[in-house]
Amino acid sequence: MKLKSTLQKQPKHQELVSSVGWTNPDEVYSASDDHQLKSTLQKQPKHQELVSSVGWTNPDEVYSASDDHQVLKWNILNNESTGFWPNCRKMSIRPTCIGSLKEYQGRNKAQMCLCCLLQMSDAYCISTYLGFLNYQSLCKFLLISRTGRVEKSVEAHRGAVLSVKWSYTGSELLTAGEDGQVKIWSRSGMLRATLAQNSSPVYSVMWGPDSDQVLYTQGRQLVIKPVQATAKPNTWRAHDGVILKVDWNPVNNLILSAAEDCKYKVWDNYGRLMYSSNTHDYPITSVSWSPDGELFVIGSFNTLRLCDQTGWSHSLEKPNTGSLFNIAWSSDSTQIAGACGNGQVLFSHVIEKRLEWRNFELLITGRKTIDVRNVNNEAREKLDFRDRIIKVSLAYHHMVVATSSQCYIYSVKNWNTPMIFDLKEGSVTLIRQSEKHFLLVDSSSIYVYTYEGRLVSSPKFVGMRMDILNHHTVSLSDDTIAIRDKNDEKTVNLFETSNGKPLGDGKPFQHSTEIMEIALDQCGLPSERRMTIVDRNRDLYLTQVRVYGNNRKSLKLGTMIQSLVWNDETNMLVALNNGRFTVWYYPNAIYVDNDVLSKTVMTRDASEFGKKPHLLSFIGKQVAIRRAEGSVISTTISPYPSMLHDCVNHNRWDDAVRLCRFVKEDSLWACLAVMAAYAKELSTAEVAYAAIDETDKVQFIQNIKELSRKEARNAEMALFCGQEADGEAILLQSGLIFRAIIINIQLYNWNSVEMARRMKGEQRQRQVERCGPGDRQAGTVLSRWAGMETDWQELT
Amino acid sequence: MADEALARAGLHFDELNKIRVLEPEIATQTNELKEETKEFLDKMSEFQKIVDSFIGLMDNVGGEVEKEKMKAIGSRNLLKSVAQQRQAQQQELQALITEKKIQLERLRIQYDSLLKDEQEQNDFIEQFILQK
Repeated sequence: MKLKSTLQKQPKHQELVSSVGWTNPDEVYSASDDHQLKSTLQKQPKHQELVSSVGWTNPDEVYSASDDHQVLKWNILNNESTGFWPNCRKMSIRPTCIGSLKEYQGRNKAQMCLCCLLQMSDAYCISTYLGFLNYQSLCKFLLISRTGRVEKSVEAHRGAVLSVKWSYTGSELLTAGEDGQVKIWSRSGMLRATLAQNSSPVYSVMWGPDSDQVLYTQGRQLVIKPVQATAKPNTWRAHDGVILKVDWNPVNNLILSAAEDCKYKVWDNYGRLMYSSNTHDYPITSVSWSPDGELFVIGSFNTLRLCDQTGWSHSLEKPNTGSLFNIAWSSDSTQIAGACGNGQVLFSHVIEKRLEWRNFELLITGRKTIDVRNVNNEAREKLDFRDRIIKVSLAYHHMVVATSSQCYIYSVKNWNTPMIFDLKEGSVTLIRQSEKHFLLVDSSSIYVYTYEGRLVSSPKFVGMRMDILNHHTVSLSDDTIAIRDKNDEKTVNLFETSNGKPLGDGKPFQHSTEIMEIALDQCGLPSERRMTIVDRNRDLYLTQVRVYGNNRKSLKLGTMIQSLVWNDETNMLVALNNGRFTVWYYPNAIYVDNDVLSKTVMTRDASEFGKKPHLLSFIGKQVAIRRAEGSVISTTISPYPSMLHDCVNHNRWDDAVRLCRFVKEDSLWACLAVMAAYAKELSTAEVAYAAIDETDKVQFIQNIKELSRKEARNAEMALFCGQEADGEAILLQSGLIFRAIIINIQLYNWNSVEMARRMKGEQRQRQVERCGPGDRQAGTVLSRWAGMETDWQELT
Repeated sequence: MADEALARAGLHFDELNKIRVLEPEIATQTNELKEETKEFLDKMSEFQKIVDSFIGLMDNVGGEVEKEKMKAIGSRNLLKSVAQQRQAQQQELQALITEKKIQLERLRIQYDSLLKDEQEQNDFIEQFILQK
């Protein structure tokens, strides 16, 4: 009754607010940056008492459970609610939480949703012993099918069941109760394990990303416990008040906690604090990650806050809801439902996402509308869509918009006639773009399309999990797709973009430690495709994509990498490492001339970007960096390296030299030197090396230039680049066996003498004895071959 | 004489020479009394009516008063809670202001960085032109 009376006062309250110049909350937030929430509440609450829990089954359907013995099913499209499972009232069950099972990789279609309601029976008897309450009743959880039939009713805990979660595979159920126990159940309701027994209630539980660990609250502490019975739990003190809610995102592997000390915190999976909020006015009663891991929301008394994954707040809303006891995201990460203390069910969706690409600015203004602005001529376009917008990506002259049923492809030159095709599933979780293709990830597969809307390929491998793919673990270039394996995080699966088949020998790329981030470069020939890898130690490696077997070399480019991005039009790489801002003008230099690599790098202090900055994009010469508190900083790098890249890509070596002479920068000369050496452009390389005072190299190149045969020169250049095997192969292929032997001898590579022996007899019997006068080791080896004749005429 | 004898027997003759058991005087008085009583009864019932309507009226008024009283109490309570509400609103607004301030600061930083960037690019262009 009391709650009702507060509701009747509600209109008055709004009058008061409007009297200070406040008409509707949207206007207040219109100036907010990036993301914000647009919320709707019912005029009259449908529930008579507080709503304890909400859950989504698909992006249009929400279930809410309340203390008034009601479970309602909401249809988002028309905002109507219908009673679900009327027995709830008949049996006077108080549902405490809902765990809704979504479809996982399309497997559970037959049993699409199992709504799990937890009951705290009214018939429970409370007897007071020495001042503490003793709950005598066993509380049940119920498995209810979508049609409202109770499939299973299982006595789970003494006292209320406070939290319930399905595992990511949908095969197991995790419950926690007031009795302090954490239990795992099978799908059919059989008890699999009791993970923990505490003296105090466990308010919240969550599965780890692989469903092999469980996170639960223990008063002020958080505990991560592996499912195996023997493994030791990781416990840490997280808050100064009782922790009320936790969440763990499988995509970014971060943990969220909310507590009565009025703070929310973000942790990594080792329990290291990533972010701690300011103290709020009221205890934080709910937290929830968006499924894609980019955002999270927190709920408190009359407060709804949307935050970035790094913790800073995108927007704050003060709806009239009472405490928000539970918040749930829809699977497409665009909508949330909140369980309000005053019986309302709050629905919000995320809008005002802002994207920028060159001179275009894109703003999602509503559920179905996008505003596009061309900054150069202030031309504005308003794009309307039939369905709800789920994901938008803008890059490489194209905008890709995935709605709940279709995909729209716009060219930035023409905003009027998009290419449209139907999507198989309306839940696109990721869009990646390259120059000619783009890649869509939905819950069942990965699809690669051209910008004309033609399906190109759909790569697959064993054990592929879609729900955890993000832009760190999937990379696309015009010819290659790289996807990090989830089962074995040391491997990267590489595919041909054009047909979706595994590259080359079909074996995935293997690294020595777990890989955290991968990225492909975007330009140049497919055979020269490079991939960067950031591993668990935050070391940066550069690896060759189209070199197979043992020949593939991964070389370490940097350490302590916080964030990195490839350029979109040249193969430049920018990274933030250890408080430095570093640009590799030509990362490939590491394969050509490691000595000069350090000269091709521009590095400067990154203190202006604050603590823990994050790279957003590297488009053209513009680098955008997100600071830890959320502001975007842009900085420009010198335009010359990209001009140099341009000259070299078009084989205009004279122009390149002229450019370097004009600019007179060592870094540029070094780049040119390495590029020329890589392209075996000897005279340019000579000039460039001379400019950076590498006398020995100049001399070496001069020597090479004197060689008359092209193959010999190529082989020597390969040697120059440190690729002995390549050099030898070139020589052997063109029949210059003697030279190959000499090279090996010069490298003190005596094993290769065996190789020489295997060569054809007549060639082997040539001229070896006199070849290395003055070289003692060579002499000793050669002495073994005494008696062989030398034909200097054949030597060149 | 005969009259007396009759009177003794309890019989009387009235003016119309009808035989009566009561003395004519008493009879007249009785009739008068009867009339008066009737009149009294009428008056009483009238009074009753008036009182009834009065009571009804008073009840109404009482109800109204009660209502008004409740209203007054309600508004007094409301008035008392306004201060509290104000405070809550103030808190809310303060939170929103803080949020806006943070956003403003974010945008300011972004603006500053863009200004700096613009400056750098202008410097570059100038230098570029001079070099030629």
